Amino acid sequence: MVGELAGNYSTVVMMFGFAIVAMAPALIISRMISPRKRSNPVKFLPMECGQVPSGEGRTHFMMQYYPYILMFVVFDVMAIFLYAWGSALLELPKTATLPMMGFLAIMFGAMAFALYQSGRRRIW
Amino acid sequence: MSVIAPNFKLSEFIKSLIDNAFWFLLIGVLVGLPAVFIVLFVIELPIINGELLTPFLALTWMTDPTRILPIVHAFMATDLFRVMIFPGFGFAALLAAGTIFAERKMLAKLQLRVGPFYCGKFEGILQLMGDGLKLISKEIIIPAKADKPIFWAAPVLFVAAAASFVAFIPVAPGWVVADVDVGLLGVFAVIGFFPIITILSAWSANSKFPFIGGIRALFQMVSFEIPLILSLLGVVMLTGSLNLSFIAASQSSFPWIVFLPIGAIVFYITMLAELERIPFDLPEAESEIVAGWLTELSGMMYGLVQLGTYLKLYAFAALFVVLFLGGWNGPMVVPPFPAELLANGIELGPVTANVSGLPLFTQEMLNGTLWFVLKTVAVIFFILLPRGVFPRIRIDMLLNLGWTKLIGLAFVNIFIALGLLYSGVLGPGGLQ
Repeated sequence: MVGELAGNYSTVVMMFGFAIVAMAPALIISRMISPRKRSNPVKFLPMECGQVPSGEGRTHFMMQYYPYILMFVVFDVMAIFLYAWGSALLELPKTATLPMMGFLAIMFGAMAFALYQSGRRRIW
Repeated sequence: MSVIAPNFKLSEFIKSLIDNAFWFLLIGVLVGLPAVFIVLFVIELPIINGELLTPFLALTWMTDPTRILPIVHAFMATDLFRVMIFPGFGFAALLAAGTIFAERKMLAKLQLRVGPFYCGKFEGILQLMGDGLKLISKEIIIPAKADKPIFWAAPVLFVAAAASFVAFIPVAPGWVVADVDVGLLGVFAVIGFFPIITILSAWSANSKFPFIGGIRALFQMVSFEIPLILSLLGVVMLTGSLNLSFIAASQSSFPWIVFLPIGAIVFYITMLAELERIPFDLPEAESEIVAGWLTELSGMMYGLVQLGTYLKLYAFAALFVVLFLGGWNGPMVVPPFPAELLANGIELGPVTANVSGLPLFTQEMLNGTLWFVLKTVAVIFFILLPRGVFPRIRIDMLLNLGWTKLIGLAFVNIFIALGLLYSGVLGPGGLQ
């Protein structure tokens, strides 16, 4: 049973694998026929518009919009929960919609609060 | 005047070519041929005309056109054909390559330029091939402090993720690589991989511009994933299924865009953002951060990312067609095959041989593919068009748009779908 369900997805994995098998040779052929001469340390510096790079490449970065990532973690799962309801809606009795409206109201409230908090730049 | 390659020596170039040819031959003979034999004798071969197809029979039949057609039929029924050629990688890559060329010509016309012109006799039609040759023969330069395995793997993974997105798209009735019951959720799962691959590539480059671009791409893709998911819920509610083939087949009388135009608009805008296209091309903003997360990618690695991007573009356009524009449904325009062709096959060649087993595809499949391709090309045109029209917007405007306006509109769309169901317009006892 589980094997059958997983077997449906084998073609997706085949597609993934075929793309790797078909595309990796492009990199290998490119590596074989492209010139690789006259190496010097400047050539392998990270691109910084002609300047000599200063400091770390992975710099500390002000995550001004970090709350949106946190919101994504919560609301993505909630959006997927809605699919479980939406795909079964035609078979459900009409009364089953009421709790979903409650769920949506909670979701709206939570999202409004989260958006309000993410708008307060001083606390981030 | 600059000299292009001052140290270029023809003799060395020819020597390198011959060297490579030698290694190809050696490896091909020592590894390739045994591999072919092992594969031919291990895999299960089909039964054709009452005979088990052995490698010997396959090789002898290949010289005879009347006998090769059963082999082609047997091959077309396999998963391998679907993955490699028709609804899968080959078909999608062909459309993606066409999109790249069409985009360059169209953008040039919009900006009163000429675009690719000299390569090939007609309107620079061979430009893409020239670009490919250029990219594959360029040196791949990797920054010294980069995380090399991840940096090498990221472009290949990007193409592979885009290809597995393509796997879910039904092109014609029955012609889909992966016909799964929760295809739409599978699509969401695959879309979730793109920000991860992007941030991996950006992080492993160990350079500032890719890092900033990768962070921007992460914010953008992640923020627009929720309106993307919510805007498609209306279609799922009206159809009652997550199977993409079923959703496409359910639109035989009218496409869902007639009833859910708001959902279609929201999906179109989120599609532009997920594809990092103008006006949402912040991750690649070339006037601010060189080329964003693509800055350190050179040569064929950049080419692979480009191919993956356009495969993803095709897949998104095809998803829009399947969900909102009716997929393969359309009036029958392909003429029926002549009766004698179906009964007797065609007469062929100087020595008259009767080739049966034609046609390879059914009329419904050709018609479906034609309508699907026409609609997909139209949607791709509308995805390309904003690039010539709009400026780039700021990141706070982008996040505000995604998190307040688009999510609000997506919920309006859900309530429209609910209203249509409960007022009896659609659903059981409704129009269908």
